[in-house]
Amino acid sequence: MSAGLRALLVSVVVVLAAAPLGLPPFAMTLLTEALILGLFAMSLDLMFGYTRLVSFGHAAAYGLGAYACGFMLLHTDMPLLFVVFGAALLTGIVAIGVGWICTLATGVSFSMLTLAFAQLLYAISFKWTSVTGGSDGLAGIPRTPGPFGFDALTSKTGFYYLVLACLVGAFLVCFALVRSPFGAVLRGIRENEAKTIALGYNTRLYKIAVVAVAYALGGLAGALYAPFAGFANTELLFWLLSGQVLIMVIVGGSGTLVGPILGAAFFMLMEHQLSSWTEAWALYFGLIFIAFVLFAPQGIWGVATAWLQRGRNSTRTS
Amino acid sequence: MNTLAFLLTQIVNALSQSALLFFLGVGLTLIFGLMRIVNFAHGALYMLGAFVGYSLTKWSGNYWVALAVAPVVVGLLGAAFEFAILRRLYRRDAHAFLMVTFGLALVVGEAVRLTWGPDALQVPPPDLLAGVMFILDEPFPLYRLFLVATGVIVAVAIWQFLERARLGLLIRATSQNADMASALGVDVKRVRSAVFGIGCGLAALGGVLAAPLVTASNGMAATVIIDAFVIVIIGGMGSFLGSLIGALLVGFVQVFGNYYLPDLALAFMYLVMLAILVVRPGGLLGKEA
Repeated sequence: MSAGLRALLVSVVVVLAAAPLGLPPFAMTLLTEALILGLFAMSLDLMFGYTRLVSFGHAAAYGLGAYACGFMLLHTDMPLLFVVFGAALLTGIVAIGVGWICTLATGVSFSMLTLAFAQLLYAISFKWTSVTGGSDGLAGIPRTPGPFGFDALTSKTGFYYLVLACLVGAFLVCFALVRSPFGAVLRGIRENEAKTIALGYNTRLYKIAVVAVAYALGGLAGALYAPFAGFANTELLFWLLSGQVLIMVIVGGSGTLVGPILGAAFFMLMEHQLSSWTEAWALYFGLIFIAFVLFAPQGIWGVATAWLQRGRNSTRTS
Repeated sequence: MNTLAFLLTQIVNALSQSALLFFLGVGLTLIFGLMRIVNFAHGALYMLGAFVGYSLTKWSGNYWVALAVAPVVVGLLGAAFEFAILRRLYRRDAHAFLMVTFGLALVVGEAVRLTWGPDALQVPPPDLLAGVMFILDEPFPLYRLFLVATGVIVAVAIWQFLERARLGLLIRATSQNADMASALGVDVKRVRSAVFGIGCGLAALGGVLAAPLVTASNGMAATVIIDAFVIVIIGGMGSFLGSLIGALLVGFVQVFGNYYLPDLALAFMYLVMLAILVVRPGGLLGKEA
């Protein structure tokens, strides 16, 4: 990461940290949700952008995290902080099994297996009423304080800082991961899996590992969503969300980590703004996607960096 | 009700369900086989077919007119979309199509809601098919039998078309090797437009045929698209026979599952799909993907 870019990202984090001072509560709610979705989209980027594992079922991670977190908050006295990370860990453990099965296949079949898993969880969430609340979902999920009477996270602002900390922490983990030798192997799989195998790497193990990490972080996003919204329902597991998060990654710019976060924020803002301007927001939404594919295939972050680059070059030549 | 009659009516029920699913699945699989595109808008086009069918029935007072015209209208729209947008993307990554067809699904879904309103609309079946017939003294809706018959006719027609018609031959050749077909003088671009149009038209045909059974509603797109995916995946992406087998399998699992294991029916469908994919990652009749 260049020094300029690092300075930019640090200043963005500082601005985000100062946001509760200046933004009205309503905007803070939107911003919190955007950051949660950003974390969710970034987790998918590990699979999609860096390893070219196209998951059609990433909602499974989000929903699993949300339900696990919601269930534990509703039925135990465990503090929020433990539950959130516990739910993420649980999602990551389940993902080892999911990854093991899904990586039996490659290409479109891999996508379809991930979709099948997500839909299986969706079907279960409808029927396992005693745990999931069926079609009503889980409602009234509390933000349990603790441990030792620590209750800073129960307020809306406190919770926002938890979300921001999770996003920054996850970003640093992902960034270190993709820069490490492990990340190099992932990119090798993306560019040419056969060659990577020929170099002596057991690519399947790497793929299972990246699925587990991506699901754990996706589960973390879901686990943050449940106490943020106060509910968890079957829509969090529905394929539509899997499609949407894939779109966020692509619109933002895949394989960049930052891009998907921007994509998620853009997605939320557009949905919010368009739906306040016009009833037919989905129509314009769809047209915007099509326009992105046609005119800005490298996504928001790709366009932004190219633009910055050009600006720098032109100042240098002048 | 005696067991044999019950079993028979359930089987015909399942067959009629399979027929509807087949119209969806076969279009999706043809499009995938030829262009390697997963068409996310397929469910939306199915829904569009149902609504266009509703308007045509109302306008002409004749369901048969709707049945004949609605698939053509939607098919032409599909071909136009291919011509205007998809055609620019064949050199690009597969995820470009994912996004574009996802966008199309949103646009079509919203356009339907704006044009026809948010309420479910009743499409009455034609008088000829409104009654019941008796299977071993059990009443059975004639319309479902009609669906089974249509399913058989369309399946045979598509099969004969692919095997015998010149365009069918070109479709098979282009699916196998687009570059080689192009080198031999096949206008691959036109074949692609045609297949995308035909696939969308078949989805719309499914929509028009489903409308008298389930009404035309805004929610119908989201539920059927996944069924269609499941069928195509089970059968093998790009395989015509596979989509037929997939449709039958899913139709029977849905109908019998709903009766015997109502709690597990939905999960059971995905378990079947997972099991098949684990054993054969390319689907039953697909090439190893």
